[in-house]
Amino acid sequence: MKNQLRVLRAQRGWSQADLADRLEVSRQSVNAIETGKYDPSLPLAFKLARLFETAIEEIFQDEV
Amino acid sequence: MTTAKTNEAVRRYNYRFLTAMAFYVLFILGGGFAFRLYHPTGATAYLLATLPSLPIVLSLVIVARYLGEEKDEFRRDLQVQAMLCAMGATLAVTSVWGFLELFLANIPHFQLYLVFPMFWLFVGISAVLLMQLRYR
Repeated sequence: MKNQLRVLRAQRGWSQADLADRLEVSRQSVNAIETGKYDPSLPLAFKLARLFETAIEEIFQDEV
Repeated sequence: MTTAKTNEAVRRYNYRFLTAMAFYVLFILGGGFAFRLYHPTGATAYLLATLPSLPIVLSLVIVARYLGEEKDEFRRDLQVQAMLCAMGATLAVTSVWGFLELFLANIPHFQLYLVFPMFWLFVGISAVLLMQLRYR
């Protein structure tokens, strides 16, 4: 799934490892989500939205 | 922090799995010695012959516990996918081998106890391939 994670992360100056720590997941998870190869569960998507203080739709875009 | 907890789940899994495998090897070697030296019969023979499979059954419980304890959903997903790939590969190899054995006289008999290490070998290969080819 297309997403804005890389941009949002860069705006805050966080590395993938920083984001992984904040999300309490592994760095590979962040990388897989960021590159669109793994779609996170709803709870993790909400956690991301809360962390970036935005809506899930602002982070993930459905490709239809 | 869950990164640490995730590592904790992996650490516990490794510890439990390696302990189970140590008993597996111990029971195989011990059983081999016992059968060669004492030629046990009856219930003792059955018990000694069954012992190595107990850590195997236990290791399935250990994997189930790992999947329950792993907080990182991506890693959990990866493990499940690797096990599914390995299950397919194991079923394919053993089925092909089985029919070769059935129809061809010169094919050696495939010992069933080898299915378990074969499955875990495929799990390892699958996990590496998934990380390298799919999630890189």
